[in-house]
Amino acid sequence: MGKKWAKLFAIPLLAAMFIAGCSSGSEDTGKESKETTVSNTNKPATWIADRKIKGLVFMGTDDYTEDMNPEIKAKIKEQTGIDFEIEIMKADHSIDGLIAGLAANDLPDFIAFYLNNSGRPEMPVLLKAAREGMFTDLTPLIKDTKVYKKYLEDDYLPIDTKYGVMFRPEFEGSTYLMHMNINREGGADTRKYVGGPYIRKDIAEALNIEPSTITTTDQLYDLAKKIQAGNFKDDNGNPVTPIGPSYWGGQEETRLFADLEWGEYDQFIKQDKSGNVLHEAESPYVMKKIEFVQKLLKEKLLQPEFFTMDESRATEGAINGTWAIIANMHNYQDFVQDMHYVPVGPLNTIDGPYEMQVDFKSGYSGWAIPSTTKNPEEIVKFADYLASRDGKLLWKYGLEGRDYTLDQDGNPLVKQEVLDLKAKDPNEAKKLGFGGVGNNWGDLLGSTDIDNMADFGEMEYGDKLKKDADLGAIKIAELWKWDEKRAKADVIDGYTPNSFLGEFAKGTELKAAFDNYRDSLVKAYYAKSMDEANKIIESALKQMRSAGLDDYLKLVAEKNADPKTKVKF
Amino acid sequence: MSQGSSSLLKPDQTGRKLWKKVLEHRYLYFMLLPCIVFFIIFSYIPMGGLLLAFKDYKFNKGILGSPWVGLEYFKTFFSSYQSGQLVKNTLIISGMKLFLYLPFPIILALMFNEIRTRWFKNVSQSILYLPHFISWVVVVGLLQRVLAPDTGLLNQLISGLGGDGSTYFMMEPKYFYQIMFGSHFWKSIGWDSIIYMAAISGVNPDMYEAAKMDGASKFREIWNITLPSITPTVVILFILSLGNILSAGFDQLYLLRTPGNMELSDILDTYIIRVGLQSGQYGYATAVGMLQGVIGLVLVVLANRISRKVSETSLW
Repeated sequence: MGKKWAKLFAIPLLAAMFIAGCSSGSEDTGKESKETTVSNTNKPATWIADRKIKGLVFMGTDDYTEDMNPEIKAKIKEQTGIDFEIEIMKADHSIDGLIAGLAANDLPDFIAFYLNNSGRPEMPVLLKAAREGMFTDLTPLIKDTKVYKKYLEDDYLPIDTKYGVMFRPEFEGSTYLMHMNINREGGADTRKYVGGPYIRKDIAEALNIEPSTITTTDQLYDLAKKIQAGNFKDDNGNPVTPIGPSYWGGQEETRLFADLEWGEYDQFIKQDKSGNVLHEAESPYVMKKIEFVQKLLKEKLLQPEFFTMDESRATEGAINGTWAIIANMHNYQDFVQDMHYVPVGPLNTIDGPYEMQVDFKSGYSGWAIPSTTKNPEEIVKFADYLASRDGKLLWKYGLEGRDYTLDQDGNPLVKQEVLDLKAKDPNEAKKLGFGGVGNNWGDLLGSTDIDNMADFGEMEYGDKLKKDADLGAIKIAELWKWDEKRAKADVIDGYTPNSFLGEFAKGTELKAAFDNYRDSLVKAYYAKSMDEANKIIESALKQMRSAGLDDYLKLVAEKNADPKTKVKF
Repeated sequence: MSQGSSSLLKPDQTGRKLWKKVLEHRYLYFMLLPCIVFFIIFSYIPMGGLLLAFKDYKFNKGILGSPWVGLEYFKTFFSSYQSGQLVKNTLIISGMKLFLYLPFPIILALMFNEIRTRWFKNVSQSILYLPHFISWVVVVGLLQRVLAPDTGLLNQLISGLGGDGSTYFMMEPKYFYQIMFGSHFWKSIGWDSIIYMAAISGVNPDMYEAAKMDGASKFREIWNITLPSITPTVVILFILSLGNILSAGFDQLYLLRTPGNMELSDILDTYIIRVGLQSGQYGYATAVGMLQGVIGLVLVVLANRISRKVSETSLW
């Protein structure tokens, strides 16, 4: 019997070994650099190694693309020897994917993730992984690079990137997370963004109102009343709602109620005039704001689902013109290029008239190399190639001859047919495989040290072929007096108030209490009376205090006093 | 008798006899195989992960290599200000779904059983089964539109009848249980009635004929024949569902939650996702999840024992 069983097991085992022996073993090549077989004499100066580099991306498919164009892939191979491949981890929330991916501990050559600043929810998870030795120390690897070595210069990085994300004092000079999208020059602009509330132009004209004169919530209320009395209709002939939610779905919009907002949305922490750091729930503004919102809701001036509406319905309302005022959108959105919506205000803040604030530099997204990756220096060299002008030209503009030509200054001149294809059939254009047509893969490792004007002679892909005068976005920026405001803008560098939750002992509990406050605030807006609203806020404040709010605010004040950890309130 | 005779057999003989029986019913065992594999892969192997409830999980050390923390997470949960509210909400919601909802699929099965027109029976069954196949995302999306203030169907109906059509049903706690139970009822009743339909179809028709001859009314037949005949099925299903008393249904509650109803809709399942997946506290989330399972198991065992004593119907 025993022999019979042994035979039965032996046959499939032999078959499995046979099949395994015949396979290419391509799985292993991803992590291990192969011996270079290409002759040294034919290699370009950008050559790195003949290997595969695979990345796992914990970000959305809206922002990044895993399908690469074969010709572009071949060009990368030719230039660097690298067979580049990315996979996007699909998850409801990118952070869920990141946590699951890190816990599975089976990571490819590099990982990429969202990381706007050290206050982002991903940061504590990434820090835990870094502290537990999951990532490779990048400091020695960037010393010999061309672009990334700038990160080691004294005044190159913004302080949050430097001390909060990358060279944290606890790591004593080592760094495990590479923060991306750092501008070459401080305070540089890539676009003339005008975000905030917008009003339907025809309604503003019919009411004979100049939208830029609306600078307080009282004026906003009066405007909403006039809209309501005007009986305006949307594209479907239904009555308009005076104030609708943001284009991207319901949530509190800081810029709509700007003179009643204590700090940025999702931060709710600010320093008062005497230097005390307070939470919104401790300030007098919270009840004023609730009273104002309740008034708007009661008089049907605010869409009743303003704070909770899902994105598809909110967008539908914006596209159909159902919202006379859209709480938040920006001038580069396609649907507004005909300027049928124009910006309102900007509204004053609680500190006084609006002043533009520009980040000295700000990061966005990041990458890390798992400690299991063989020859990590090759990943860094490849990232450095993608961050160079040659690399950027490839992933932003595509292939010379096929997608662009070079002008007399050596800058790319996008082919008109590519722009036409992009306008006519964006999905087909995306298959060309580079950033300009919406196929974003190069940004992951290459989008940093950004200065498009210096590198390519234009701020945006294809700007040279666009006639500025026809561009709605630029016209809106002019209407809003963007240049004038930018000239007077404050260039600020610092941490967000919630950046220190990761190092605060009761950080997780306090984060939960902050989330509860955000929900409680919305609940208070819908309370039947101000008394009830007051009780809701009191209860949320009590929870935050029991989760260590007072100690945390002290910590924020201490951090703000240290020039290395200045806080931008 | 058979027990006595088998105990006299030597172990080798018992094993041989068992194999003989297995061989005899090999097709049935073959059909059972996927089910066994499914449970091994998706239920038994993951149980190893329960170790996380007692460990401080380190990315680089894995489950086995991470340091032990004892009952730390359980202590943290019970000392948290949220735990009481979370357990209370979970028990209320799952209690409603277990006890309040229980008779409805049975009543529906009885009603289906009495329909004599075949095409009408088929059509109505299909209509009632369909919602089961619609995901909660779609169901809650529909609810949001139907119950929207001012523009929703229900509010338009109310204002059409002269009422105030601006009620934000999803935001008001007083409507939460109705919405939760109503949507669960609509989505599940048809599908859940299938098993009772199957049990009813197994009732011996001779008993109905005998009852008719004794002059029993339709109601009497249902009350005295159908219901007693399907009672064992009802009891077994009830005992099994007790195992899920601390799982009130993640999808539905996660989607129905709004700032207005959060004090009623925050349950253990949504809490586990929030702390486990969204904050990366694997050990803590596992501990809370394990509590759900252990309490469910204890309840199943207790209910089974009570049922065996009272009604002679039990799982084992």
